[in-house]
Amino acid sequence: MESASLSRRTLLQAIAATIATAGLPLGWAQIAEAMDDTHAVGQPGSAAKISFLSAGEAADIEAVAAQIIPSDDSPGAREAGVVYFIDRALATFFSQLAGDYRTQVAAFQAGYRERHPAAASFASLTSEQQIEHLNRIDQTPFFTTTRLLTLLGMFSLPAYGGNHDDTGWKLIGFEDRHVFNPPFGYYDRDYPGFVIDPPKTR
Amino acid sequence: MSTQTYRDSDTVDFVIVGSGAAGGVVARELAQAGLTVVLMEQGPRFSPRAARHDELGVWYLGGITNDAVKNPQTFRDDAAKKAERQTFKPALWYGRGVGGGSLHYTANFWRFHEIDFIERSVLGAIPGTGFADWPIAYADLEPYYTRVEWEIGVSGLAGANPFDPPRSKPYPMPPLPVKSSGVLFERGARKLGWHPVPAPMAINSQPYRGRSACVHCGFCHGFACEVRAKASTLTTVIPEAEATGRCELRSESYVFRIETSTEGRATGVTYFDRDRRERFQRARGVVVCANGAETPRLLLMSESNAFPHGLANSSGLVGKYLMFNYSGRATGVFEHELNEYKSVQVTRVLHDFYDSDPKRGYYGGGGLDARIGPQPTTWAIRTDVGEPSWGSAYKARLREFPRTMQVSCHSTSLPLESNNVTLDPELEDAWGLPAIRVTYRDHPDDLATVRFLQDRGEEILHEAGALRVTQAAVAPQTASVHLLGTCRMGNDPATSVIDRYHRSHDVRNLFVCDGSSLVTSGRGQPTMTIQALAFRAGEHIARFAKRGEI
Repeated sequence: MESASLSRRTLLQAIAATIATAGLPLGWAQIAEAMDDTHAVGQPGSAAKISFLSAGEAADIEAVAAQIIPSDDSPGAREAGVVYFIDRALATFFSQLAGDYRTQVAAFQAGYRERHPAAASFASLTSEQQIEHLNRIDQTPFFTTTRLLTLLGMFSLPAYGGNHDDTGWKLIGFEDRHVFNPPFGYYDRDYPGFVIDPPKTR
Repeated sequence: MSTQTYRDSDTVDFVIVGSGAAGGVVARELAQAGLTVVLMEQGPRFSPRAARHDELGVWYLGGITNDAVKNPQTFRDDAAKKAERQTFKPALWYGRGVGGGSLHYTANFWRFHEIDFIERSVLGAIPGTGFADWPIAYADLEPYYTRVEWEIGVSGLAGANPFDPPRSKPYPMPPLPVKSSGVLFERGARKLGWHPVPAPMAINSQPYRGRSACVHCGFCHGFACEVRAKASTLTTVIPEAEATGRCELRSESYVFRIETSTEGRATGVTYFDRDRRERFQRARGVVVCANGAETPRLLLMSESNAFPHGLANSSGLVGKYLMFNYSGRATGVFEHELNEYKSVQVTRVLHDFYDSDPKRGYYGGGGLDARIGPQPTTWAIRTDVGEPSWGSAYKARLREFPRTMQVSCHSTSLPLESNNVTLDPELEDAWGLPAIRVTYRDHPDDLATVRFLQDRGEEILHEAGALRVTQAAVAPQTASVHLLGTCRMGNDPATSVIDRYHRSHDVRNLFVCDGSSLVTSGRGQPTMTIQALAFRAGEHIARFAKRGEI
């Protein structure tokens, strides 16, 4: 699989190879810019850190995200750095959600503390305890929003701060490329061609 | 690109409001007929860079569409309720840039059928609805469907679909290469005795009119096309309009009022330019092509002493009869990889259930197609009935992405007065203008039709050999990208907003052409018909202008 941040040179080579068959028009230098996805979004910070959420909020949100897409024989939301994405989102491009979300996080924390008074944090509960609790609250606004943000962080361009090392795309077998050629999958490999079927009914 | 420019004080022949699927076509038709045109667009003129493969930026943060922050809307499902502000995404979602919805559409380009225009006469009245015949027939529109196919560019196979209406010419390009979803759909549907056919798409299967062939990148649905293989008005008719030397495209120009004289004629439009300065462009005529949400909003915002309920609204129907269509789905998981994220969305469609069948006991029909649906993020966010939404089982489901396809079910929406666009009494947009308030609830027949079609989709997937088949929950919609019916055409000024030539019944030199003109909803895929209407409207409006009849 190719990385999300293909080098510019690779892009230009891919385009050059495509011009002959697709008849790409003039202006493909601009098209190359479109293909360089990170260009428009900016590079991810090399040292990911939490700046908006408190340490306690971040730890609990990360624990919930890690139950939404667990780490097992392959990386999950934790390895994808979803919590860094969420932190950045609430501080910047989803700032309109931040106020409501903080209230939801507080309600979530109050809820698990009521059931586990001795727990230092949600993150400190056993996985079984976490799942048991989330099963009770997975229709709440907190969970719905956390799930949405987790998935956006899992699959968005790595430049937004999540999807580290294309973790999300590798999980689902998605390749971010700008040129594909048929056959695209198993079932269209030996397609014999379309034959018009005479109408039986009208 | 724009060479011709006009001053606000110049009286141009026409101001066109909105440069989308309809506005771009009308601009070219009027300019090529020798008329002077200013084409106004709320949004910017995007470079190909805007076509980046960035789901978050383009799909969720309003990269090429209206967004919930700058262009907020409110929604309710019942007029008795207070409409709530939509904080994440707007309820009515449209392309906000030169090209409008033709930038980000899927480009499914089937024609409406003959029945769509005469359904009320054939089926009879449906109490409690505004179900009506169109004032034009399919035969009136056929030449313009053909012009869309040849002048915009559509790939397809004429004669393949036994349910297609008559056509005067074949498609200019062969169909796009079939995908695995198309092969499986065809296999399953044929076992059931149905008629799957190559999908007509406004995407080049080969180089056409200076634009490249599709390179199968897979980012059509919700995204602009970086290689211009998908036909947008930005890359087709608008450059041709500009090349006449008579059309100025004015992007980032947000029209918020159509001005009228004491004689009740439109005199021009007031707009915010890109520096938020208020300006007035004088014109002999105004054509509103701002889409089924913004067109009624603009007419309602243009109220005056002479037009106290909004401009062109003596019928009271401006904004009413909003129709969304419905996009249902059945989902199938197969043994081997399909990799549906590659290439165009749709390569096979089926119209066996297009017509309403009284035997089903409710009104409605639809078209089915084979596709993946959205790109990875949105695909992951939504779940079907009975599917896990988090945890280990959900993760296992995510891994099936390359082996998954869906049968999409595109269906009818009945026109209801209670489904509408009005001005929100409190909320304002970033320019201080009244926000759009949406009131919408699907008619029970519309939901019954979707359930029927999803069952047919499920049958196709089973016959095709799916290991597992699920369906989406069918529930009243709260958002749409199909914005139809809000300034409907008709012969009677009491029951319609514009006449059969798109002229408003109330204001002689004011025309409306876009999704708002539709009388019935078709079965989804409205852009093809919106553009056919636009070619026809442009021809008639030019004729009226030249004869001094505006």
